[in-house]
Amino acid sequence: MLNFEEELKKFKPSLEIEDTEDIIYNKDLDDMSDVLVKLLKEAKSETDNQRRAR
Amino acid sequence: MRCASCNTELNGTDICPGCGRDVRMYKKMVSLSNRFYNEGLEKAGVRDLSGAVSCLRQSLKLDKNNIDARNLLGLIYYETGEVVVALSEWVISKNLETGENIADYFMDTVRNSPAKLDEINQTIKKFNIALNYCRQDSLDLAIIQLKKVLSLNGNFVKAHLLLCLLYLKGGNWDRAKSEAGKALKLDTGNVMAKRYLKEADDMLLPGESGKLVSDITTDSDDVIRYNSGNEMIIQPVKKSAITRSGSIWGIVLGIILGIAASCFLILPQRIAGINSNNQEKITQISEESDAKSAQINDYEQQIATLQSQIEELQSQVSGYEGATSTSAAMNSLMKAASIYLNDSSDVDGIGSALAEVDLSVIGEDVSPEFTSLYDNLMVLVGAQLSTSYYNTGYEAYKNSDYETAISNLSKAYQYDSTNVNTLYYLGNSYYNSGDIAKAKEAYDEVITKFPETKSAQEAQTKLAEINNSDG
Repeated sequence: MLNFEEELKKFKPSLEIEDTEDIIYNKDLDDMSDVLVKLLKEAKSETDNQRRAR
Repeated sequence: MRCASCNTELNGTDICPGCGRDVRMYKKMVSLSNRFYNEGLEKAGVRDLSGAVSCLRQSLKLDKNNIDARNLLGLIYYETGEVVVALSEWVISKNLETGENIADYFMDTVRNSPAKLDEINQTIKKFNIALNYCRQDSLDLAIIQLKKVLSLNGNFVKAHLLLCLLYLKGGNWDRAKSEAGKALKLDTGNVMAKRYLKEADDMLLPGESGKLVSDITTDSDDVIRYNSGNEMIIQPVKKSAITRSGSIWGIVLGIILGIAASCFLILPQRIAGINSNNQEKITQISEESDAKSAQINDYEQQIATLQSQIEELQSQVSGYEGATSTSAAMNSLMKAASIYLNDSSDVDGIGSALAEVDLSVIGEDVSPEFTSLYDNLMVLVGAQLSTSYYNTGYEAYKNSDYETAISNLSKAYQYDSTNVNTLYYLGNSYYNSGDIAKAKEAYDEVITKFPETKSAQEAQTKLAEINNSDG
Protein backbone atom coordinates (compact mmCIF):
# COMPACT_ATOMS: atom_id res chain seq x y z
CA MET A 1 0.00 0.00 0.00
CA LEU A 2 1.45 3.34 -1.02
CA ASN A 3 1.92 6.12 1.48
CA PHE A 4 0.47 9.17 -0.20
CA GLU A 5 2.42 11.68 1.85
CA GLU A 6 5.70 9.95 1.21
CA GLU A 7 4.99 9.63 -2.48
CA LEU A 8 3.98 13.30 -2.67
CA LYS A 9 7.33 14.32 -1.22
CA LYS A 10 9.00 12.76 -4.27
CA PHE A 11 7.39 15.31 -6.50
CA LYS A 12 9.33 18.57 -6.79
CA PRO A 13 8.03 21.73 -8.39
CA SER A 14 8.99 22.01 -12.03
CA LEU A 15 11.45 24.74 -12.90
CA GLU A 16 9.96 27.74 -14.62
CA ILE A 17 11.44 29.72 -17.51
CA GLU A 18 12.37 32.59 -15.19
CA ASP A 19 14.62 30.23 -13.22
CA THR A 20 16.69 29.17 -16.22
CA GLU A 21 19.52 31.62 -15.59
CA ASP A 22 19.94 30.58 -11.96
CA ILE A 23 19.98 26.92 -12.89
CA ILE A 24 22.70 27.41 -15.44
CA TYR A 25 24.88 29.48 -13.14
CA ASN A 26 24.46 27.21 -10.15
CA LYS A 27 24.92 23.97 -12.06
CA ASP A 28 27.78 21.84 -10.77
CA LEU A 29 29.60 20.88 -13.95
CA ASP A 30 32.51 19.04 -12.38
CA ASP A 31 33.12 15.62 -13.84
CA MET A 32 35.30 12.71 -12.79
CA SER A 33 38.49 14.17 -14.32
CA ASP A 34 37.95 17.43 -12.40
CA VAL A 35 37.58 15.44 -9.19
CA LEU A 36 40.76 13.47 -9.98
CA VAL A 37 42.71 16.64 -10.74
CA LYS A 38 41.52 18.11 -7.45
CA LEU A 39 42.51 14.97 -5.56
CA LEU A 40 45.92 14.92 -7.21
CA LYS A 41 46.44 18.59 -6.36
CA GLU A 42 45.48 18.00 -2.76
CA ALA A 43 47.74 14.95 -2.55
CA LYS A 44 50.62 16.90 -4.02
CA SER A 45 50.19 19.83 -1.66
CA GLU A 46 50.03 17.43 1.29
CA THR A 47 53.27 15.77 0.21
CA ASP A 48 54.93 19.17 -0.10
CA ASN A 49 53.81 20.13 3.40
CA GLN A 50 55.21 16.89 4.88
CA ARG A 51 58.57 17.50 3.17
CA ARG A 52 58.72 21.02 4.58
CA ALA A 53 57.95 19.71 8.05
CA ARG A 54 60.94 17.29 7.90
CA MET B 1 40.10 14.28 -27.48
CA ARG B 2 41.82 17.01 -25.54
CA CYS B 3 43.85 16.97 -22.33
CA ALA B 4 41.75 17.91 -19.28
CA SER B 5 44.67 19.91 -17.82
CA CYS B 6 46.15 21.83 -20.74
CA ASN B 7 43.47 21.33 -23.42
CA THR B 8 46.11 20.02 -25.85
CA GLU B 9 44.94 17.57 -28.52
CA LEU B 10 45.93 14.10 -27.35
CA ASN B 11 47.56 11.54 -29.62
CA GLY B 12 47.63 7.74 -29.51
CA THR B 13 50.08 7.60 -26.56
CA ASP B 14 49.12 7.67 -22.87
CA ILE B 15 51.17 10.85 -22.26
CA CYS B 16 49.86 14.35 -23.02
CA PRO B 17 52.15 15.97 -25.61
CA GLY B 18 51.44 19.40 -24.04
CA CYS B 19 51.90 18.93 -20.28
CA GLY B 20 53.43 15.43 -20.20
CA ARG B 21 50.79 14.07 -17.82
CA ASP B 22 49.64 10.46 -17.84
CA VAL B 23 46.24 10.49 -19.57
CA ARG B 24 45.40 6.78 -19.40
CA MET B 25 42.83 7.28 -16.66
CA TYR B 26 41.33 10.25 -18.48
CA LYS B 27 41.05 8.31 -21.71
CA LYS B 28 39.32 5.46 -19.86
CA MET B 29 36.80 7.89 -18.35
CA VAL B 30 36.03 9.39 -21.73
CA SER B 31 35.59 5.91 -23.14
CA LEU B 32 33.29 4.99 -20.28
CA SER B 33 31.31 8.19 -20.80
CA ASN B 34 30.83 7.28 -24.43
CA ARG B 35 29.63 3.82 -23.44
CA PHE B 36 27.03 5.35 -21.13
CA TYR B 37 26.01 7.72 -23.89
CA ASN B 38 25.49 4.83 -26.29
CA GLU B 39 23.47 2.99 -23.72
CA GLY B 40 21.39 6.09 -23.08
CA LEU B 41 20.83 6.51 -26.79
CA GLU B 42 19.62 2.94 -27.08
CA LYS B 43 17.22 3.37 -24.19
CA ALA B 44 15.92 6.63 -25.60
CA GLY B 45 15.32 4.76 -28.87
CA VAL B 46 12.87 2.43 -27.11
CA ARG B 47 11.37 5.30 -25.05
CA ASP B 48 12.96 4.15 -21.82
CA LEU B 49 13.46 7.81 -21.00
CA SER B 50 14.17 7.36 -17.29
CA GLY B 51 16.87 4.79 -18.07
CA ALA B 52 18.26 7.02 -20.78
CA VAL B 53 18.42 10.00 -18.40
CA SER B 54 20.25 7.87 -15.83
CA CYS B 55 22.81 6.68 -18.39
CA LEU B 56 23.33 10.15 -19.81
CA ARG B 57 23.83 11.64 -16.38
CA GLN B 58 26.47 9.00 -15.71
CA SER B 59 28.04 9.79 -19.02
CA LEU B 60 28.22 13.50 -18.16
CA LYS B 61 29.63 12.79 -14.72
CA LEU B 62 32.47 10.94 -16.38
CA ASP B 63 32.98 13.54 -19.10
CA LYS B 64 31.25 16.90 -18.89
CA ASN B 65 32.43 17.66 -22.44
CA ASN B 66 30.37 14.85 -23.96
CA ILE B 67 28.26 17.23 -26.04
CA ASP B 68 26.12 14.55 -27.67
CA ALA B 69 25.18 13.13 -24.28
CA ARG B 70 24.25 16.59 -22.98
CA ASN B 71 22.20 17.47 -26.04
CA LEU B 72 20.37 14.14 -25.89
CA LEU B 73 19.71 14.64 -22.19
CA GLY B 74 18.20 18.04 -22.97
CA LEU B 75 16.03 16.51 -25.69
CA ILE B 76 14.74 13.84 -23.32
CA TYR B 77 13.93 16.43 -20.67
CA TYR B 78 12.08 18.45 -23.33
CA GLU B 79 10.09 15.37 -24.35
CA THR B 80 8.99 14.67 -20.77
CA GLY B 81 7.86 18.28 -20.27
CA GLU B 82 10.88 19.52 -18.30
CA VAL B 83 11.56 22.29 -20.80
CA VAL B 84 13.58 24.56 -18.48
CA VAL B 85 16.04 21.82 -17.59
CA ALA B 86 16.30 20.95 -21.27
CA LEU B 87 17.08 24.57 -22.16
CA SER B 88 19.74 24.78 -19.44
CA GLU B 89 21.45 21.62 -20.77
CA TRP B 90 21.47 23.03 -24.31
CA VAL B 91 22.84 26.40 -23.15
CA ILE B 92 25.68 24.68 -21.26
CA SER B 93 26.29 22.49 -24.28
CA LYS B 94 26.55 25.54 -26.50
CA ASN B 95 29.01 27.16 -24.09
CA LEU B 96 31.20 24.08 -24.00
CA GLU B 97 31.13 23.59 -27.78
CA THR B 98 30.81 26.91 -29.52
CA GLY B 99 31.34 25.42 -32.97
CA GLU B 100 28.86 23.29 -34.81
CA ASN B 101 26.33 22.16 -32.24
CA ILE B 102 22.85 20.72 -32.68
CA ALA B 103 21.85 22.53 -29.47
CA ASP B 104 21.57 25.64 -31.63
CA TYR B 105 18.79 24.03 -33.64
CA PHE B 106 16.94 22.89 -30.51
CA MET B 107 17.12 26.31 -28.87
CA ASP B 108 16.13 28.10 -32.07
CA THR B 109 13.12 25.82 -32.40
CA VAL B 110 11.94 26.76 -28.91
CA ARG B 111 12.89 30.42 -29.24
CA ASN B 112 11.15 30.92 -32.60
CA SER B 113 7.73 30.04 -31.25
CA PRO B 114 7.16 32.35 -28.27
CA ALA B 115 3.51 31.33 -28.06
CA LYS B 116 4.53 27.73 -27.61
CA LEU B 117 7.14 28.75 -25.03
CA ASP B 118 4.53 30.76 -23.14
CA GLU B 119 2.16 27.80 -23.22
CA ILE B 120 4.89 25.57 -21.85
CA ASN B 121 5.56 28.04 -19.06
CA GLN B 122 1.84 28.20 -18.23
CA THR B 123 1.76 24.41 -18.12
CA ILE B 124 4.65 24.33 -15.66
CA LYS B 125 3.02 27.02 -13.48
CA LYS B 126 -0.26 25.10 -13.42
CA PHE B 127 1.56 21.93 -12.46
CA ASN B 128 3.24 23.73 -9.57
CA ILE B 129 -0.14 25.11 -8.49
CA ALA B 130 -1.59 21.59 -8.60
CA LEU B 131 1.30 20.32 -6.50
CA ASN B 132 0.61 23.10 -4.05
CA TYR B 133 -3.07 22.08 -3.90
CA CYS B 134 -1.97 18.54 -3.12
CA ARG B 135 0.13 19.77 -0.21
CA GLN B 136 -2.86 21.78 1.02
CA ASP B 137 -5.00 18.63 0.77
CA SER B 138 -7.22 20.17 -1.95
CA LEU B 139 -7.10 17.05 -4.04
CA ASP B 140 -10.17 17.78 -6.19
CA LEU B 141 -8.75 21.15 -7.23
CA ALA B 142 -5.41 19.48 -7.89
CA ILE B 143 -7.06 16.92 -10.17
CA ILE B 144 -8.86 19.67 -12.12
CA GLN B 145 -5.61 21.61 -12.47
CA LEU B 146 -3.67 18.55 -13.61
CA LYS B 147 -6.31 17.75 -16.21
CA LYS B 148 -5.82 21.26 -17.58
CA VAL B 149 -2.05 20.73 -17.61
CA LEU B 150 -2.38 17.48 -19.53
CA SER B 151 -4.81 19.04 -21.99
CA LEU B 152 -2.07 21.60 -22.77
CA ASN B 153 0.84 19.15 -22.79
CA GLY B 154 -0.02 15.47 -22.89
CA ASN B 155 3.67 14.46 -22.70
CA PHE B 156 4.17 15.89 -19.24
CA VAL B 157 5.09 12.61 -17.50
CA LYS B 158 5.35 14.12 -14.04
CA ALA B 159 1.77 15.45 -14.33
CA HIS B 160 0.52 11.99 -15.35
CA LEU B 161 2.25 10.47 -12.35
CA LEU B 162 0.89 13.03 -9.91
CA LEU B 163 -2.61 12.59 -11.30
CA CYS B 164 -2.21 8.84 -11.01
CA LEU B 165 -1.18 9.23 -7.39
CA LEU B 166 -4.24 11.39 -6.70
CA TYR B 167 -6.52 8.79 -8.27
CA LEU B 168 -4.89 6.12 -6.16
CA LYS B 169 -5.46 8.26 -3.11
CA GLY B 170 -9.12 8.74 -4.09
CA GLY B 171 -9.58 5.00 -4.70
CA ASN B 172 -10.22 5.51 -8.38
CA TRP B 173 -8.12 2.55 -9.36
CA ASP B 174 -9.05 2.19 -12.99
CA ARG B 175 -8.31 5.83 -13.71
CA ALA B 176 -5.06 5.56 -11.80
CA LYS B 177 -4.22 2.57 -13.93
CA SER B 178 -5.06 4.50 -17.05
CA GLU B 179 -2.83 7.42 -16.05
CA ALA B 180 0.01 5.10 -15.10
CA GLY B 181 -0.39 3.42 -18.49
CA LYS B 182 -0.15 6.78 -20.24
CA ALA B 183 2.99 7.65 -18.29
CA LEU B 184 4.53 4.30 -19.17
CA LYS B 185 3.66 4.81 -22.80
CA LEU B 186 5.68 8.03 -22.74
CA ASP B 187 8.45 6.64 -20.56
CA THR B 188 8.56 2.86 -20.61
CA GLY B 189 11.22 2.64 -17.92
CA ASN B 190 9.58 4.95 -15.40
CA VAL B 191 9.82 3.09 -12.12
CA MET B 192 7.33 5.28 -10.32
CA ALA B 193 4.71 4.69 -13.03
CA LYS B 194 5.31 0.94 -12.81
CA ARG B 195 4.87 1.04 -9.05
CA TYR B 196 1.62 3.00 -9.34
CA LEU B 197 0.37 0.62 -12.01
CA LYS B 198 1.09 -2.33 -9.80
CA GLU B 199 -0.70 -0.67 -6.91
CA ALA B 200 -3.75 -0.02 -9.08
CA ASP B 201 -3.72 -3.58 -10.42
CA ASP B 202 -3.51 -4.95 -6.91
CA MET B 203 -6.57 -2.97 -5.92
CA LEU B 204 -8.61 -4.22 -8.85
CA LEU B 205 -10.02 -7.33 -7.16
CA PRO B 206 -11.67 -10.16 -9.08
CA GLY B 207 -15.47 -9.69 -9.10
CA GLU B 208 -18.43 -11.81 -10.00
CA SER B 209 -18.73 -13.64 -13.35
CA GLY B 210 -15.02 -13.55 -13.85
CA LYS B 211 -15.03 -9.80 -14.24
CA LEU B 212 -12.34 -7.82 -12.60
CA VAL B 213 -14.42 -5.27 -10.84
CA SER B 214 -12.88 -1.97 -10.04
CA ASP B 215 -14.79 0.65 -8.25
CA ILE B 216 -18.14 0.16 -9.87
CA THR B 217 -18.98 3.55 -8.53
CA THR B 218 -20.18 5.79 -11.23
CA ASP B 219 -18.19 8.96 -11.72
CA SER B 220 -21.20 10.40 -13.37
CA ASP B 221 -24.85 9.43 -13.36
CA ASP B 222 -24.75 8.18 -16.93
CA VAL B 223 -22.23 5.27 -16.93
CA ILE B 224 -20.91 2.38 -14.87
CA ARG B 225 -17.24 1.52 -15.40
CA TYR B 226 -15.70 -1.84 -14.74
CA ASN B 227 -12.80 -3.87 -16.05
CA SER B 228 -13.18 -7.16 -17.87
CA GLY B 229 -9.75 -8.66 -18.32
CA ASN B 230 -7.57 -5.96 -19.79
CA GLU B 231 -10.50 -3.96 -21.16
CA MET B 232 -12.41 -1.24 -19.45
CA ILE B 233 -16.16 -1.56 -19.97
CA ILE B 234 -18.20 1.62 -19.83
CA GLN B 235 -21.84 0.65 -19.54
CA PRO B 236 -24.66 3.20 -19.73
CA VAL B 237 -27.00 3.18 -16.75
CA LYS B 238 -30.57 2.10 -17.51
CA LYS B 239 -32.78 5.03 -16.88
CA SER B 240 -36.35 5.30 -15.79
CA ALA B 241 -39.06 6.80 -17.94
CA ILE B 242 -38.73 10.05 -16.02
CA THR B 243 -35.02 10.36 -16.76
CA ARG B 244 -35.59 9.25 -20.32
CA SER B 245 -38.08 12.08 -20.67
CA GLY B 246 -35.03 14.36 -20.82
CA SER B 247 -34.04 12.78 -24.11
CA ILE B 248 -37.66 12.96 -25.29
CA TRP B 249 -37.64 16.65 -24.53
CA GLY B 250 -34.39 16.88 -26.45
CA ILE B 251 -36.05 15.23 -29.46
CA VAL B 252 -39.05 17.55 -29.15
CA LEU B 253 -36.73 20.54 -28.94
CA GLY B 254 -34.88 19.27 -32.01
CA ILE B 255 -38.14 18.94 -33.91
CA ILE B 256 -39.17 22.45 -32.86
CA LEU B 257 -35.81 23.82 -33.95
CA GLY B 258 -36.13 21.95 -37.25
CA ILE B 259 -39.57 23.41 -37.82
CA ALA B 260 -38.30 26.87 -36.89
CA ALA B 261 -35.38 26.48 -39.30
CA SER B 262 -37.75 25.37 -42.08
CA CYS B 263 -40.06 28.31 -41.25
CA PHE B 264 -37.25 30.82 -41.42
CA LEU B 265 -35.21 29.31 -44.24
CA ILE B 266 -37.40 27.12 -46.47
CA LEU B 267 -40.92 28.52 -46.10
CA PRO B 268 -40.09 32.08 -47.26
CA GLN B 269 -38.75 30.68 -50.53
CA ARG B 270 -41.78 28.41 -50.92
CA ILE B 271 -44.13 31.30 -50.15
CA ALA B 272 -42.29 33.52 -52.61
CA GLY B 273 -42.62 30.79 -55.26
CA ILE B 274 -46.34 30.35 -54.55
CA ASN B 275 -46.84 34.11 -54.62
CA SER B 276 -45.14 34.41 -57.99
CA ASN B 277 -47.32 31.57 -59.34
CA ASN B 278 -50.41 33.24 -57.96
CA GLN B 279 -49.30 36.55 -59.46
CA GLU B 280 -48.97 34.88 -62.86
CA LYS B 281 -52.43 33.33 -62.47
CA ILE B 282 -53.89 36.68 -61.41
CA THR B 283 -52.33 38.33 -64.46
CA GLN B 284 -53.73 35.62 -66.72
CA ILE B 285 -57.18 35.86 -65.11
CA SER B 286 -57.20 39.66 -65.38
CA GLU B 287 -56.30 39.38 -69.07
CA GLU B 288 -59.17 36.93 -69.56
CA SER B 289 -61.41 39.24 -67.56
CA ASP B 290 -60.49 42.19 -69.79
CA ALA B 291 -61.28 40.12 -72.89
CA LYS B 292 -64.61 39.06 -71.40
CA SER B 293 -65.40 42.65 -70.39
CA ALA B 294 -64.85 43.69 -74.01
CA GLN B 295 -67.16 40.86 -75.13
CA ILE B 296 -69.78 41.95 -72.57
CA ASN B 297 -69.62 45.51 -73.93
CA ASP B 298 -70.20 44.15 -77.43
CA TYR B 299 -73.11 42.08 -76.15
CA GLU B 300 -74.58 45.10 -74.34
CA GLN B 301 -74.42 47.13 -77.53
CA GLN B 302 -76.12 44.27 -79.37
CA ILE B 303 -78.77 44.09 -76.62
CA ALA B 304 -79.38 47.85 -76.92
CA THR B 305 -79.76 47.50 -80.68
CA LEU B 306 -82.11 44.54 -80.23
CA GLN B 307 -84.07 46.43 -77.57
CA SER B 308 -84.63 49.32 -79.95
CA GLN B 309 -85.71 46.84 -82.59
CA ILE B 310 -88.10 45.21 -80.08
CA GLU B 311 -89.58 48.60 -79.20
CA GLU B 312 -90.03 49.37 -82.88
CA LEU B 313 -91.69 46.02 -83.44
CA GLN B 314 -93.87 46.49 -80.37
CA SER B 315 -95.03 49.83 -81.72
CA GLN B 316 -95.85 48.05 -84.96
CA VAL B 317 -97.71 45.34 -83.01
CA SER B 318 -99.71 47.93 -81.08
CA GLY B 319 -100.61 49.50 -84.41
CA TYR B 320 -101.86 46.14 -85.54
CA GLU B 321 -103.76 45.76 -82.25
CA GLY B 322 -105.57 49.08 -82.98
CA ALA B 323 -106.46 47.72 -86.35
CA THR B 324 -107.70 44.57 -84.62
CA SER B 325 -109.96 46.58 -82.28
CA THR B 326 -111.33 48.51 -85.25
CA SER B 327 -111.88 45.23 -87.01
CA ALA B 328 -113.66 43.84 -83.90
CA ALA B 329 -115.87 46.96 -83.76
CA MET B 330 -116.75 46.47 -87.43
CA ASN B 331 -117.66 42.84 -86.75
CA SER B 332 -119.82 43.86 -83.81
CA LEU B 333 -121.56 46.52 -85.88
CA MET B 334 -122.12 44.00 -88.66
CA LYS B 335 -123.51 41.55 -86.11
CA ALA B 336 -125.93 44.18 -84.76
CA ALA B 337 -127.04 45.02 -88.31
CA SER B 338 -127.52 41.34 -89.01
CA ILE B 339 -129.66 40.87 -85.87
CA TYR B 340 -131.77 43.90 -86.83
CA LEU B 341 -132.31 42.56 -90.34
CA ASN B 342 -133.34 39.17 -89.01
CA ASP B 343 -135.53 40.40 -86.14
CA SER B 344 -135.94 44.20 -85.69
CA SER B 345 -137.70 43.67 -82.34
CA ASP B 346 -134.68 41.90 -80.76
CA VAL B 347 -133.52 45.04 -79.02
CA ASP B 348 -131.53 43.16 -76.39
CA GLY B 349 -129.51 41.24 -79.03
CA ILE B 350 -128.82 44.47 -80.97
CA GLY B 351 -127.89 46.22 -77.78
CA SER B 352 -125.46 43.50 -76.69
CA ALA B 353 -123.85 43.56 -80.16
CA LEU B 354 -123.52 47.33 -80.19
CA ALA B 355 -122.20 47.26 -76.63
CA GLU B 356 -118.98 45.84 -78.02
CA VAL B 357 -118.58 48.82 -80.36
CA ASP B 358 -116.47 51.26 -78.34
CA LEU B 359 -116.34 54.51 -80.30
CA SER B 360 -113.65 55.98 -78.01
CA VAL B 361 -111.25 53.10 -78.94
CA ILE B 362 -112.03 53.18 -82.65
CA GLY B 363 -111.23 56.90 -82.92
CA GLU B 364 -110.93 58.26 -86.41
CA ASP B 365 -109.49 55.11 -87.97
CA VAL B 366 -112.91 53.91 -89.20
CA SER B 367 -114.16 54.33 -92.71
CA PRO B 368 -117.08 56.69 -93.60
CA GLU B 369 -119.14 53.60 -94.48
CA PHE B 370 -118.77 52.32 -90.91
CA THR B 371 -119.89 55.67 -89.50
CA SER B 372 -122.79 55.85 -91.90
CA LEU B 373 -123.94 52.33 -91.01
CA TYR B 374 -123.62 53.05 -87.33
CA ASP B 375 -125.61 56.33 -87.62
CA ASN B 376 -128.36 54.67 -89.68
CA LEU B 377 -128.62 51.85 -87.18
CA MET B 378 -128.87 54.38 -84.35
CA VAL B 379 -131.73 56.16 -86.18
CA LEU B 380 -133.54 52.84 -86.54
CA VAL B 381 -133.00 51.29 -83.10
CA GLY B 382 -131.30 54.02 -81.02
CA ALA B 383 -134.55 55.28 -79.41
CA GLN B 384 -135.62 51.74 -78.51
CA LEU B 385 -132.21 50.90 -77.12
CA SER B 386 -132.13 54.14 -75.16
CA THR B 387 -135.59 53.53 -73.69
CA SER B 388 -134.63 50.01 -72.71
CA TYR B 389 -131.39 51.13 -71.01
CA TYR B 390 -133.19 54.13 -69.43
CA ASN B 391 -135.86 51.92 -67.87
CA THR B 392 -133.30 49.51 -66.51
CA GLY B 393 -131.12 52.35 -65.25
CA TYR B 394 -133.98 54.26 -63.68
CA GLU B 395 -135.15 51.13 -61.85
CA ALA B 396 -131.66 50.64 -60.54
CA TYR B 397 -131.50 54.33 -59.53
CA LYS B 398 -134.67 54.01 -57.56
CA ASN B 399 -133.34 50.90 -55.89
CA SER B 400 -130.16 52.87 -55.02
CA ASP B 401 -128.08 50.51 -57.24
CA TYR B 402 -126.09 53.42 -58.59
CA GLU B 403 -123.43 51.38 -60.31
CA THR B 404 -125.97 49.59 -62.53
CA ALA B 405 -127.81 52.85 -62.91
CA ILE B 406 -124.69 54.68 -64.11
CA SER B 407 -123.89 51.89 -66.61
CA ASN B 408 -127.37 51.74 -68.14
CA LEU B 409 -128.10 55.47 -68.05
CA SER B 410 -124.76 56.17 -69.75
CA LYS B 411 -125.70 53.82 -72.62
CA ALA B 412 -129.20 55.27 -72.76
CA TYR B 413 -127.73 58.75 -73.13
CA GLN B 414 -125.23 57.44 -75.71
CA TYR B 415 -128.02 56.10 -77.93
CA ASP B 416 -130.40 59.05 -77.35
CA SER B 417 -128.92 62.30 -76.21
CA THR B 418 -132.23 64.20 -76.33
CA ASN B 419 -133.70 62.78 -73.12
CA VAL B 420 -132.93 65.28 -70.30
CA ASN B 421 -134.07 62.87 -67.60
CA THR B 422 -131.50 60.34 -68.65
CA LEU B 423 -128.73 62.89 -68.15
CA TYR B 424 -130.20 64.29 -64.93
CA TYR B 425 -130.59 60.88 -63.29
CA LEU B 426 -127.10 59.94 -64.48
CA GLY B 427 -125.83 63.05 -62.66
CA ASN B 428 -127.82 62.08 -59.53
CA SER B 429 -126.41 58.53 -59.74
CA TYR B 430 -122.83 59.94 -59.90
CA TYR B 431 -123.65 62.30 -57.03
CA ASN B 432 -125.09 59.58 -54.82
CA SER B 433 -122.29 57.17 -55.63
CA GLY B 434 -119.79 59.86 -54.49
CA ASP B 435 -118.31 60.71 -57.92
CA ILE B 436 -118.87 64.47 -57.49
CA ALA B 437 -116.71 65.48 -60.50
CA LYS B 438 -118.70 63.34 -62.93
CA ALA B 439 -121.90 64.53 -61.25
CA LYS B 440 -120.92 68.17 -61.80
CA GLU B 441 -120.12 67.43 -65.47
CA ALA B 442 -123.55 65.80 -65.88
CA TYR B 443 -125.33 68.72 -64.15
CA ASP B 444 -123.41 71.28 -66.22
CA GLU B 445 -124.42 69.43 -69.40
CA VAL B 446 -128.12 69.38 -68.24
CA ILE B 447 -127.97 73.15 -67.57
CA THR B 448 -126.21 73.82 -70.91
CA LYS B 449 -128.18 71.52 -73.21
CA PHE B 450 -131.58 71.77 -71.52
CA PRO B 451 -131.64 75.28 -69.94
CA GLU B 452 -135.37 75.85 -69.67
CA THR B 453 -136.33 72.53 -68.11
CA LYS B 454 -137.23 71.68 -64.56
CA SER B 455 -134.34 69.22 -64.52
CA ALA B 456 -132.02 72.16 -65.34
CA GLN B 457 -133.30 74.05 -62.30
CA GLU B 458 -132.87 71.05 -60.04
CA ALA B 459 -129.39 70.52 -61.52
CA GLN B 460 -128.67 74.15 -60.73
CA THR B 461 -129.78 73.59 -57.14
CA LYS B 462 -127.59 70.46 -56.87
CA LEU B 463 -124.57 72.33 -58.24
CA ALA B 464 -125.13 75.10 -55.69
CA GLU B 465 -125.23 72.49 -52.92
CA ILE B 466 -122.03 70.93 -54.23
CA ASN B 467 -120.32 74.32 -54.46
CA ASN B 468 -121.52 75.30 -50.98
CA SER B 469 -120.34 72.07 -49.48
CA ASP B 470 -116.96 72.56 -51.24
CA GLY B 471 -116.74 76.13 -49.96
